[in-house]
Amino acid sequence: MTKKEAKMIDKDGVRADGRKPDELRPTKIEVGVLNNADGSAYIEQGKNKILAAVYGPHEVHPKHLALPHRSRLRCRYHMAPFSVDERKSPAPSRREVELSKVIREALEPSIFLEYYPRTSIDLFIEVLQAHGGTRCAGITVASLALADAGIPMRDLTAACAAGKVEGQLVLDLTDQEDKKGEADVPLAYMPNLDAVTLLQMDGQLTLEEFEKTISLSLEGCKQLYLLQKEALKVKYVAVKEDIEE
Amino acid sequence: MPKTRSKRQSGQFVVPGAPLGVIEEFTSGNGTYVEQGRIYAKISGRTLLDLQNKTVSIFPLVHGARVPKVGSIVTGQVLNLQNKTAVIRIFEIGKEQLSGVFSGLLYISDVSRSYVDSIHDACKPGDIVRAKVISEKNRIFHLSTADKNLGVLYALCSQCGHVLQQKRYKVSCPNCGNLEKRQIAIEYGKACV
Repeated sequence: MTKKEAKMIDKDGVRADGRKPDELRPTKIEVGVLNNADGSAYIEQGKNKILAAVYGPHEVHPKHLALPHRSRLRCRYHMAPFSVDERKSPAPSRREVELSKVIREALEPSIFLEYYPRTSIDLFIEVLQAHGGTRCAGITVASLALADAGIPMRDLTAACAAGKVEGQLVLDLTDQEDKKGEADVPLAYMPNLDAVTLLQMDGQLTLEEFEKTISLSLEGCKQLYLLQKEALKVKYVAVKEDIEE
Repeated sequence: MPKTRSKRQSGQFVVPGAPLGVIEEFTSGNGTYVEQGRIYAKISGRTLLDLQNKTVSIFPLVHGARVPKVGSIVTGQVLNLQNKTAVIRIFEIGKEQLSGVFSGLLYISDVSRSYVDSIHDACKPGDIVRAKVISEKNRIFHLSTADKNLGVLYALCSQCGHVLQQKRYKVSCPNCGNLEKRQIAIEYGKACV
């Protein structure tokens, strides 16, 4: 190789997209974007564009899936065929099935599922454009869609990844940083209850780096939580103004 | 005057999980829950602090999850008739349309206050029925149409498929003259479904 590959982080600690190591991508969240769903939300985090919709609680079909003591949360994480550079088959891949399970388990502790026995709550996360960290953005936006559906919740869940790229610990990895970097740690967090509901790690970190990475992504989750709160407020304050007019 | 510990005021917008105070200050009211001695909101809404009764509750700004409850008036379509029961697919609770459906059971003894000979004299598959939930034991919604505003709202002729019109306590088909029995609601043919 004659040509030197472009570095992900320059000597001043500025990343390829101009962010500081502990900076989130510019994030825009909107709540209540779909009319037919009981609850919905949309997030743009950097180049990620993700839509989430909640239907329910309603009767479970097939009926044998109904649980006698709580509602069943059914989650589908799906990437649109046009969400990535090379067309992705619309059929659920192994990765999507796993992420659906992981996202479901990250959100289940935040919902009062025991209030609606023998019903199901269906959650759909549709990735329209993917650019790294879609599982975390998916959790962040799905939590808002659940809140928009009026389902009683213990807390909102915010999720954010941190990792190690070119020897430096950075927050909210993009697709390139994730692929070229040494490690990626996605984390979902309920800020008011101070509880972690998802923690994964891909790559290698020393114990010390791991602890630093976690505190970095916790800070990211707290920032996202503020954006979540703001998004809900924007929707319901606007609703109130409509009534007053 | 003693200082109030909580900085919360009435009318503040809160999201699920927002801390509202501790159980020493307040009892937890509607839309809140208690975890480890602290009170949190569980839905989005505005806070309501009742300082007289020391209660904190949330005035909901979201419509909330819609599930049939005992006493709620529901609208649905008759799916099929068994020997003495009609299975009704509930798609509306009160005036709120559901995104999904719930199944309800209408037993012959709950059709009317008077004696009903056969469930076929009360409704037929395809009819739109308004009913009241009288039991939700084991999450099976038992319905009743024993009231003058409850019963069939819209029905089609079982012979030619034309919309049936009310004729006293029965319904008749303007197309083929067929006369059928139904448990008719007072709003028959008028309620828009």
